[in-house]
Amino acid sequence: MTKKDLIDQRLVREAEQMVMRTHTRRHFLKESAMGLGALAMGSLLGGCGGKTKAAHSVVFDPAHPLLPKAPPFIGKAKSVIFLHMAGAPSQFELFDYKPELAKMDGQDCPPSFLEGKHFAFITGVPKMLGPQATFARHGQSGAWVSEHLPHFSEVVDEVSFLKAVTTDQFNHAPAQLLVHTGSPRLGRPSIGSWVTYGLGTENQNLPGFVVLTSGGSFPDAGKSVWGSGFLPSVYQGVQCRSEGDPVLFIKDPDGMSRDLRKASIEAVNKANMQEYKDYNDPEILSRISQYEMAYRMQITAPDVMNINDEPPYIHEMYGTKPGKACFANNVLLARKLVEKGVRFVQLFDWGWDAHGDNASNALNIGIINKYRSVDKPVTALLLDLKQRGLLDETLVVWAGEFGRTPMMENRNGAQNPFKGRDHHTEAFTIWMAGGGIKKGHTHGETDEIGYTAVSGKVDAFDIQATILNQLGFDHEQFTYPYQGRPFRLTDVGGKVIREIIA
Amino acid sequence: MTILAIVEVLGRFHPVLVHLPIGILLVACLFQLFVKRFPLLRPSVPVLLFWGMLAAVASCITGYLLSLSGDYDAVLTRRHQWLGIITAAAAFLFYMLHRLSLASRYANPMAAGVIALIMVTGHLGGSLTHGTDYLTAGMDDAGADQTMKPIPNIQEAVLYTAVVQPILQRKCYSCHGSSKQKGKLRLDEENYILKGGKDGKAIESGKPDESAMIKRLLLPLNDDDHMPPKEKPQLTPNEVAVLNWWVSTGNSFTKKVKELPQTDKIKPVLAALQSGSGGNVAKSADVPDAAVSAASEDAVNKLKDAGVMVVPVAHEKNYLSVNFVTAGNQARQLVKLLEPLKKQLVWLRLDGSDIDDAALAAIAKLEGLTRLYLSNTAITDAGLQHLKPLKQLQVLNLVGTKVTDKGVAELKTMPALRAIYLYKTNINRNAWVQLKRAFPKTILDSGGYNVPTLVTDTTLVTADQQKK
Repeated sequence: MTKKDLIDQRLVREAEQMVMRTHTRRHFLKESAMGLGALAMGSLLGGCGGKTKAAHSVVFDPAHPLLPKAPPFIGKAKSVIFLHMAGAPSQFELFDYKPELAKMDGQDCPPSFLEGKHFAFITGVPKMLGPQATFARHGQSGAWVSEHLPHFSEVVDEVSFLKAVTTDQFNHAPAQLLVHTGSPRLGRPSIGSWVTYGLGTENQNLPGFVVLTSGGSFPDAGKSVWGSGFLPSVYQGVQCRSEGDPVLFIKDPDGMSRDLRKASIEAVNKANMQEYKDYNDPEILSRISQYEMAYRMQITAPDVMNINDEPPYIHEMYGTKPGKACFANNVLLARKLVEKGVRFVQLFDWGWDAHGDNASNALNIGIINKYRSVDKPVTALLLDLKQRGLLDETLVVWAGEFGRTPMMENRNGAQNPFKGRDHHTEAFTIWMAGGGIKKGHTHGETDEIGYTAVSGKVDAFDIQATILNQLGFDHEQFTYPYQGRPFRLTDVGGKVIREIIA
Repeated sequence: MTILAIVEVLGRFHPVLVHLPIGILLVACLFQLFVKRFPLLRPSVPVLLFWGMLAAVASCITGYLLSLSGDYDAVLTRRHQWLGIITAAAAFLFYMLHRLSLASRYANPMAAGVIALIMVTGHLGGSLTHGTDYLTAGMDDAGADQTMKPIPNIQEAVLYTAVVQPILQRKCYSCHGSSKQKGKLRLDEENYILKGGKDGKAIESGKPDESAMIKRLLLPLNDDDHMPPKEKPQLTPNEVAVLNWWVSTGNSFTKKVKELPQTDKIKPVLAALQSGSGGNVAKSADVPDAAVSAASEDAVNKLKDAGVMVVPVAHEKNYLSVNFVTAGNQARQLVKLLEPLKKQLVWLRLDGSDIDDAALAAIAKLEGLTRLYLSNTAITDAGLQHLKPLKQLQVLNLVGTKVTDKGVAELKTMPALRAIYLYKTNINRNAWVQLKRAFPKTILDSGGYNVPTLVTDTTLVTADQQKK
């Protein structure tokens, strides 16, 4: 033993004694008494719940936070692709066929629909607005789909529609937060974070939770919709791009060799390890593992995230636009990522907010272009996953954050210049496919004019509970302790929508 | 008649009255034990003992009257009765010792003895009313769980033992079981069920409408004759439906579900039993229900160290899923390491790996495989032949391989195959019809789906167009 070691040892012993000196007899007694009380309290409370089942314990290993973990139950789905149409598409022009509403087109809205209601913009008495589309039944399931989705109407037998989805938020940001984090306020982890926290990811060279945006703008709620909230930060969504470098700064700068990069990352990690030894903060270990993953990603990500190596007929199938950031490119990339073992891919496509206050968000102009930009890629995604044998284990969710009113929007007492609808919370349509969801099924109904849900009503919590269920989680048991109590994605709500599970 | 009725009413006061001596005597004995430290307590001890003793005697009398109803287990009742009498006697003796001022020497042991007597007697009494397993039920998860457990294969299960008996056990045994027989009825064994109670038979075979048990289950909750009593846990509609069906099909104690005629009404109920009406367990057909021993840790670690992902399919399951996603360039060597896991391994992903025909021979030994993914690998028909011994294999992914219709046709002997994915393979375009005929129970997905490009897909709507 060298002299230095001896000195080190002596220092350590001295430090330990300092710590022990602060532990007086009073501390001991106090802590043991509190401890006993807590024990007794714990068993008492445990007895109240009725369920004696222990919560799913997810073991968090800060040094390998993304290693794959077993779900509590055998899940049908391995991965999720969540296609979020930010801005809220209109159910009346796509899926919820209401001939009665067409008859009321142009009439004043009956007062019973307005009493006690709040809308984002509508004031006074708006006019009713009939469906701005023609509808037909498609597939063996006979699902109603409008002329705006000619491709998607060919694959309705693969999906389950939820036609009576409701929410309690009528502004974009809180409604999007509710869909993705289970709370309309900031600060909760997003569903992708929960899932990667619970399951890890199979491919350690890629992020487990990837976010892709299109439509020229972020979702209104900002990056919080893929944030990790109180979960370890390693589980937040990693935003990637389908244009240029898939991840910003993924290429080594000119003059930086691979060896030098390796050496510098090793040096940074060493310093971080020292910091960890001093402070024991697990977030530091996460940071170290993130650096290591980033280094590996530099090699693998450019390959996987490059859609240019896909054959031309696949590009044609998805309708991609080479070299541009667009929804079709993102959808193709999503398929590639899922194929490579990425757990959760979250797409945001902005621009669905069909108010009709200008041409770009008019139901009969700009929004039609939105339909066209998603119809082909979404259809291609379902078929491509199917032919690769991936649809059975990949859950695809297509959803906005709320619906649109059966009334035409007016602002400040005047009609909007273009045809548009206001935000609506009482009924809208979403669909899910693959991952053990029923094929060719419709659940839920709205009234004659599609104003409110009549049967099969579900909300964001039910959808989240269903997604978790398909991945092998009981949403009530999947919790994370924070601020002294267990938190869960579905808060105190949520019921698995068994009607759409195959 | 009236006297008998009075006796019965008095007897029913026992469960209330019995708490008086327990409380009073316990306080008396505890005071006695602390008398040395707190002399102030001394005068209250004989007073408490007196009232405690009276209450104990009253309890004994009412208890005896209650036992005359015969609703309770005879052996337990006798033990409880005598211990109760001894307790009352001990309390009387204790009181007399105090009155005669002889207490000082014997008082403390006496107090301890009475406490012990109270506890044992009380426990026996509790066992009589709540059942002998009442105390320990909380420790045992199965006992505390009030919902039905999912049954792996309901059609193969014996209706009585798998479904009916557990319902009776959860909802009826506490009053009609081994420790208590309200109305002289026991439901815990076949001969007792058939015998019935003091009002006659409980069930009329094949006639649920005339069976007392079913009729009482169906009475409104507020009816005095409704069973179980209003304050006890009630049967769910599904549980009632199952019991009703059991009686209507002749209340067999041995027949399996599939041997009994199934009405449209009962089918969904049975299906719910299979998937588990309460839990959220998603059943997976491609992981066996049978338990398996854990895989050797060494074997698993060897694979993990090489960068292979080895994960159990679920918590508390030993079945494994293996993925070579980041170790694909060494798959040829590494698949040999899978052999020790052959009992546990159910899902194996080798997509895009360097696996070849020769290396597939090692996979043939993995007898438990239900899903095998070989997409975008160099395997050909020659390699496929190795897979034939995989009797459990349900899903086979061959997308982007060089296999042909000849090689795939050979797999038709594999019994469990549910789906084969054959997109981008060398299957002759004209061979599909025949190939699909060779696999009547298997989905063969040829892929190659097309989404044609329409004019509208590449054009934009503008405001000007709409005006026209």
